[in-house]
Amino acid sequence: MKRRTRRQIVLWGVAAMALVITVFPFYWMLNTSLKPATDVFVSPPTFGPSRWTLDAYASLFAHKPMARYFVNSLVVSLGSTALSVLLAALAAYGFTRFFVRGATAFIVFLLFTKMLPETLLIIPYFRLMSDLGLLNTYWALILAYSSFALPFSVWMLIGFFRSIPREIDEAAIMDGAGVLQVFFRVILPLARPGLVAVALFTFLIAWNAYVWALVLTTDASMYVLSVGIANMVGEYRVQWNELMAAAMIAAAPVMVLYALLERHLVSAITAGAIKG
Amino acid sequence: MTKRRRYGYAFLAPVLVFLAAVIVFPLLYAFWTSLHRVRGLNVTFVGLANYARIFGDDAFWHSLSVSLRFTSLSVALHIVLGLALAMLLDQLRALRTPVRILFLTPWMVAPAVGATIWLWLLEPQFGVVNHLLRVLHVIDAPLAWLGEPSLAFASVVMVDVWRGVPFVMLLMLAGLQTIPQDQYEAAAIDGASAWQRFRFVTLPNLRYLLVVASTLDVINTIRHYDIIGVMTGGGPAGATEVLPVLLYNTAFRANRFGDAAAIGVALLAIVLAFSLVYLKITRPDRELASA
Repeated sequence: MKRRTRRQIVLWGVAAMALVITVFPFYWMLNTSLKPATDVFVSPPTFGPSRWTLDAYASLFAHKPMARYFVNSLVVSLGSTALSVLLAALAAYGFTRFFVRGATAFIVFLLFTKMLPETLLIIPYFRLMSDLGLLNTYWALILAYSSFALPFSVWMLIGFFRSIPREIDEAAIMDGAGVLQVFFRVILPLARPGLVAVALFTFLIAWNAYVWALVLTTDASMYVLSVGIANMVGEYRVQWNELMAAAMIAAAPVMVLYALLERHLVSAITAGAIKG
Repeated sequence: MTKRRRYGYAFLAPVLVFLAAVIVFPLLYAFWTSLHRVRGLNVTFVGLANYARIFGDDAFWHSLSVSLRFTSLSVALHIVLGLALAMLLDQLRALRTPVRILFLTPWMVAPAVGATIWLWLLEPQFGVVNHLLRVLHVIDAPLAWLGEPSLAFASVVMVDVWRGVPFVMLLMLAGLQTIPQDQYEAAAIDGASAWQRFRFVTLPNLRYLLVVASTLDVINTIRHYDIIGVMTGGGPAGATEVLPVLLYNTAFRANRFGDAAAIGVALLAIVLAFSLVYLKITRPDRELASA
């Protein structure tokens, strides 16, 4: 017993060290974001909360269209989520309920699209969007992000739909429900945990994406958070406390979402990665 | 066609049309672009001239070598550290869920945002990394982390490792939980040391997962743009210019879309090779056939 306790203490010591290294950048982001401007460029830097203030946040919102970036990120992420969940649910339902031949090809095709290098697609995508006049629109980003989330979403929902017994559909059809009615009224409510996981997954992909938005938005009022933040780095004199405040605003929502729904998401993502 | 199958196609149609429009068509357009010289609205067919030019250009081969070094080093570190962390976490007897969530944080946050945080940490004059290393007497003078080629390469690898380890850790944690406990007990009865238990029980049981995770990680790392794009943009002197960054710079800085598309096709070929390996190992088709 004593030996086991000692072992746990050693393990915890190592774990604590690894945790500090992992999480320290986030502490430093928080710490810097709460510093008054005069404390940012001092050496040695201050580590503690004694002079923390919300000045950087106030000044950030006063000088930069942060609220606008935030809304842009939100609209694009929610739009991608809605589109991707709807399409993925339709496909997964059709796949598990009606499909026999060609199924393998469909899955391999999905996996293939999931692995394409996005920088290659950006070139034609940029030209297409500019030809269609869709640069600097939400649509350009919503379409791009949905396409990247879709393969995995379909894959994940196939698993969920398969676990719903077909007898349920058949019973509903016997009762006179049409196929679409069965889908919307019976199957979707039953598949809710799967839909939530897929929605969350798509939302996070869209919220965290960068290079697409970098290319497809040139107008500062259409920047999403990731682009707005990365652009601040290039400024003549970087206000690091404001930049870290902006990073906090981008990072905090996903951290909260993850912490609340970790179990939900992680098991789905792990399974998806191992199986394909 | 039976009614059933018609319904099947009707439900699949939206996704197929969508992917055809948003993935397949742009992909074909990318190939087409790689065969043309694009100057604004002025587009001329040049055959394989773009390929000939990029393959004749040292910048491409240099970038390929940076990509291969970056990817192999990052992936190796992801796997080793991810497995080590997973084994550590697996043996903790309390607070496993909050600890796991904390370890996952670098992976949750947007890579572009994580990279921005690291830019500040590594800032030469006021950055905290230089400060800490000086306090600990590891270095005497502040280092220009992103200003010097080999240091910049090491820095972007470090940030990529920071970001990439949690995902491998998750996979390995899932794998560790599938190892039957009695195998460890049997090994302990036979007097196996901790190393021997790792070598002869843990590793063989995780073999499949390790191969899958490495392949997947290679695919994800070699095509990743965001971290290097934000931190160095490929510099200094091309030291961190991996293929996706070279592609971006060629297309959107130098405005040479045809050349960029040709680089993209080369990158696609590499990714595709690993994807085939991945498909061969995981056999999603076989699993679906049996399901």
